[in-house]
Order: sequence, then C-alpha cells, then structure tokens
Amino acid sequence: MSNVSSSNPIPTSCVIVSYDSNTFLNQNNFTQDIELDNYTIPYVDAVNMSESLELVNFFNATEEPYAMETARTMLFNKRIKVIIMIPVDFSELLIWGYPGMLQCVPDAAEIQNIQGILNAVQESVNIFIVANNLTPQFLLEGFEEFAIPPEYNFQFNTYSFMILPIMTFGIALVLSILVIVKEKPIARLLLTPVQRAEILLSKYITYSIILLIQVTLLVISSLGSGLYLAGTIGDLFLALFMLGFTGLGFGLFISSLSKTKTEANQLFFAFFIVIILLSGIFIPIESMPFYLQIIAYMLPLSHGDPMIMGIVTKGTSIFSEHFYWLLGISVVLFIISFLIFLRRKYEV
Amino acid sequence: MEAEVNDVTVNVEGLDVAFGDKKIIHDVSFVVKRGEIVGLFGISGAGKTTIVRVLTCQIDKKHWTGNVTVSNLTPAKKKNHAKILSDTGYVPQLEELNLYYELSPLVNVEVFTSTYGMNKKKAKSVAKELFSILDLPDDTWKKKTKKMSGGEKKRLSMAIGLIHNPSVLFLDEPTTGVDASKRYDILSYLKKLNQKLHTTMFIITHDLEAALICDKTAILREGKLLAFDSPRNLIESLPSKGKIARLAIEALNQDIIDVIKSQPYVKRVLRVGNEVVEILLEDFESDLSRLLQFLFASGIRVNSMSRDQASFRRYFQIRINEEEEKEQAYINLTNEDGGAPE
Repeated sequence: MSNVSSSNPIPTSCVIVSYDSNTFLNQNNFTQDIELDNYTIPYVDAVNMSESLELVNFFNATEEPYAMETARTMLFNKRIKVIIMIPVDFSELLIWGYPGMLQCVPDAAEIQNIQGILNAVQESVNIFIVANNLTPQFLLEGFEEFAIPPEYNFQFNTYSFMILPIMTFGIALVLSILVIVKEKPIARLLLTPVQRAEILLSKYITYSIILLIQVTLLVISSLGSGLYLAGTIGDLFLALFMLGFTGLGFGLFISSLSKTKTEANQLFFAFFIVIILLSGIFIPIESMPFYLQIIAYMLPLSHGDPMIMGIVTKGTSIFSEHFYWLLGISVVLFIISFLIFLRRKYEV
Repeated sequence: MEAEVNDVTVNVEGLDVAFGDKKIIHDVSFVVKRGEIVGLFGISGAGKTTIVRVLTCQIDKKHWTGNVTVSNLTPAKKKNHAKILSDTGYVPQLEELNLYYELSPLVNVEVFTSTYGMNKKKAKSVAKELFSILDLPDDTWKKKTKKMSGGEKKRLSMAIGLIHNPSVLFLDEPTTGVDASKRYDILSYLKKLNQKLHTTMFIITHDLEAALICDKTAILREGKLLAFDSPRNLIESLPSKGKIARLAIEALNQDIIDVIKSQPYVKRVLRVGNEVVEILLEDFESDLSRLLQFLFASGIRVNSMSRDQASFRRYFQIRINEEEEKEQAYINLTNEDGGAPE
C-alpha cells in the first residue's frame, strides 16, 4: 500500500473541477446581483501549497460544460490520480457556517493507492482550513472510479490483475529458460544443413504454441473464477499472450546466455526478482529514483502490468503504448538471443 | 596414393590448423576414395577431432590453411557448408548428443530427416531398412529411446548418422564405453553398413582394434600425420615385413633387454609381458638364429619362442615410440649445444 503523505516526495496529480459560482441568485427578487465571498480560489491556493498534491489543471465547470468529461479522460489515461470536485454551494455553505464538502474521484484501478490519494486531498483541506480560519468541519466524499462491481469478489479481483501478469510472464520464463542450454542434440543438429536462426525460430514457434495453450487456460480459469473484466476477452487474451511472448524472449535470452542448467536457473531467479520488484506492481515506478525508473521502463512487466490492469479494470484497448513497448522489447530480445546463439560454441 | 578424381571423396592437402599462436595440425595430407573406411588413430591431443572438425565445416577458415575437399566441395567457402553437411553424416561419441531420449527412435529419425528436407514416408522406409541391418528390435522402434540398452542406442545413433544416405560418415569413438564383447559387434555392424551402402567412413578412435575393419589408417601425433596407408602396408613397412619373434625369457629385466638391443641386427625390442618380449629383426630368417645363439652364449634362458606377424597395435606402438625417441634425441642434442630447441 502506498500512502501519499506530506513526507512523500511524489505528489498526487490532480485536477479541480469547480461548480462553485461566484454569483448568487437573490431569493427575493431573483436577480444575480449579490456576490458572495468565493472560497474556490483559496482552496486552489491550498492545493498549490500542499506538497502532497500536484495540480495539473483547473476547470471552471460553469464556463466549461465538458470539464468533468475532460477530467475523466485524464484519469482514464493515467495523467492524473484524482479529480477534486468543488460542489455548486461550496462557498455559500462555508459562509453560512455549515461544514464544507469536497467530492473526489480517485483512480480505483490501483485499489491499493486509494487511501493514499484521499490522504493527500485531506492535507490540502487542512491547509485550506488553517489559511482561511475556518472551523475544521469538512467532509471528503469519495467516488471510486474503475472499481470492481459489488457482485464480484473484491479480494479475488484485487489480486487477480496483479497476479495474472506475473503468472503469465513467469510461466513463459520457466518454459523457455532451459530450452537451449538443456538440449544436447543441438550441437549435432548444427552438423546438418539447418541454420542456427532456423533452430531459434523453431523454438520460438514451438513454445509460442505452448504459451498459447497456457494463456487460454489462464483466461478461462480466471474468468471462470469470477474475474471482473471491463475490456474484451480478445484484448485480455492478446495482452497476456504478448506479455508471455516477451517472457519467452527473455527466457530464450537467458538460455542462450547460460552455459549450464544451474547458471540458467540462477539467472532466472536473479532476473525474475528484479523484473517483479521494478514492475511497479508493488512499488510505484514514479516513486523510484530516476535511474531505476529508466531500467523499470525497459522491463516487460512494467508495461505488461498496466496494460492488463487497464484492460481488466478500465476496458482500455490492447493497442496502447505498453503493447508497442512489449513488441519492441520482444524484437530486441530476439535479436540479442540470436546474436548470442550465433556465437555460442558447440562441439560434438 | 593415386586416385581418380571422381573416385575421391575426401582430399586433404597441406592442412595446417592454428588457434592464435598455437598450431594444432601441421601439414597433413591424405586422399580417401569412395567407400573406404579410414581409421584416425592417435593419443589424446593428436589432432584427430580437429581434422574431422575441418572436414565437417566446424572450424572457421581463418583458423586453417590448405586444400581440403569433401565430395568435391571445399569447406573453406561458407556457401558450400550446407551442401557438404547434406552429404555427410556424424555419429558423436555420446549418444545423448545425437538422440532425444524422450522420443521414440522413429520420431528421432523424423527430427533429423526434417533437417535434410526428406519426406516422412521416405525417412520411415530408410529408417526401417537401417534398423533391420543394425538388428534393432521392432518392439523398440516406437518406445522411448531412454528405455533402449546402451548398444541399441549406439546402433540407433549410427542409423541416424546414415539416415540421409551420406557419402561420408564420421564416427567419433564408436566403440568407447561399449564392453569388450560388444566392441566387435559395433565394428562388424560398421563393416556391414559400409559394404551394403558403400559409404565412406571416418572412424576417430583410440581403440586400435578398429583397424581390423579399416581400409586405410592414419596415425597422428601432436598434429602431425605419421603414417597413412592400409594396415597391411603399414605393418609390412616394418623391418622383415613385420615379422616378429616373441620370446619368453626367464627373469626378464631391463639389463637383458638392453643386451638384446645392443645387437646391431636387432631393430626393436618391445616388452609385452612380465617375461615376454617381441623383437623385430633386420632380416628375420637369418638374424633369428644369430639372436638365439647370442642369448644362449650370454646365459639368458629362453623358455619359449614363437614367430608371428606384427599387429596394427604393435605397429602403432613402434611408430609412436620412434617419434618419441627422435624427439628426445633432438632435445638432448640441443641441450648439449647449450641452446634452446628452435
């Protein structure tokens, strides 16, 4: 669980959508001539002062009718983590001495981060109360976005889309790490007209077929067990296969690199642990040091996890930047594996 | 060694192989005709495998010089590699390098024949023919290879080496790891295959018994080819055409051997047992009686005597000993001169 607090150096990105008008309809003569004190701008100032929040945009909904849609699109595309809505009677209620109320829409696709997001908003409220000498009566009303419907098992779904990418990638790695290092007749096969590239390609094809079966079983068993899928089954299947295919590439790379089975197994554990740790599943990539972020974005799970999470929780398309990243990583791994395999010494 | 060009399967002229400063093969030349069985003999590090690795396109051209052709194609050109490998077979020393143990013999055959572009039907029929020649029991053909006996695996490995009907088959230590009684079986199967299929065979081996089936034998030592000819010709190149006197001498010791060696007509004395020596004489018929008279006069008691033709094993031993003696003499000479050998 990641708690974003004042001590956290990574602020939670947000937008403010304000429905609070600075005009007030006079109940006696139905004119708009009475102006009340406006607390919208002081709250925006409080957000700016808060170290826990980073204000990406401010929308005045009375002037921009599509403000909320724009903000939701930003949330959907992961540009922000929370939408803070200032209700229409925000300033009025505060003036009349009523408790203040703010509405938040956090990105609940990352369920483990919701509390951290709300904590960050709360800090801005605290600053606002102190700066404006208000009675500390404030209500934060949270609406979860992209959350799991109540009829689905919350715990299963919370962990499924975290475990699915790890499982797929792990299966593909385990399938392929010993493919080259274990197969002794490869040396003899090289004394036939067959080319090294053909051998490597045959491994890719064979193990891709096995992966296809594994992914089919994973998808069937996940959906059968009650996985809530906002996206399409095709997208989920393709995403898992793409991630698994990158895993195959990684496995074949380890297999080409290793001289013995023991070495391959050791490399597998070393790589797998690093890939999981830097995947962003357990530690947000944004909170890592810059150099680790660069490494993290080069690793397959860092793209596979958000891609699958997006399909499962938000119904995003597979053809996002993550898909092309995985495709690129696969191509690079194939080329590196081929070059290593080409130089690998075989003696019969 | 004159051979018609069309009849030549393997031609090696002035082959030198070096890795960096280390020269592995020194000026090796030989010609092998179609259908011959050639034995490459030598102790470990003699260069047998290196020569075969050149012939099977495993060593890059930058490491070797000389004119080498296999089935009239030179391994010096990369474009020839696929053609050469299509026309050669290889049976490695360890069956695990040639067989997928989890698959049946017939599926193993399918795997390897697919690399030669053979269709399944033809591959199966050739496999069955080879399995029959090699007496592989029918009930093993579809079972997992790991369940076969060591001898059966060895024969299956030989069948896979020949599955695409190559002109040349290379066999690395085919009798190593096989018990004594089966060694002759393996050699006899090889001869049988050679006679039926007319495949040229190269046998890399330490096992000097393999010379029994060889048409030509090559003896290598430290990368140099000491001899290349038929075993009969090599044996007959020894003094007295390879006739040896085998004497059982009472209380045989090094002094007695030195005394025998001191006779000018004695060409070589080999101790082959506790009390047995084999002696090569300059002129066997006349020198044998002279030797016996000398031994009698010297008080050396000979318990028994027989005459025989030297075996290839004995020729090999003599040839290697000669080389070692020459080398030692050279070292001694240079040490006496006070300079390091060049």
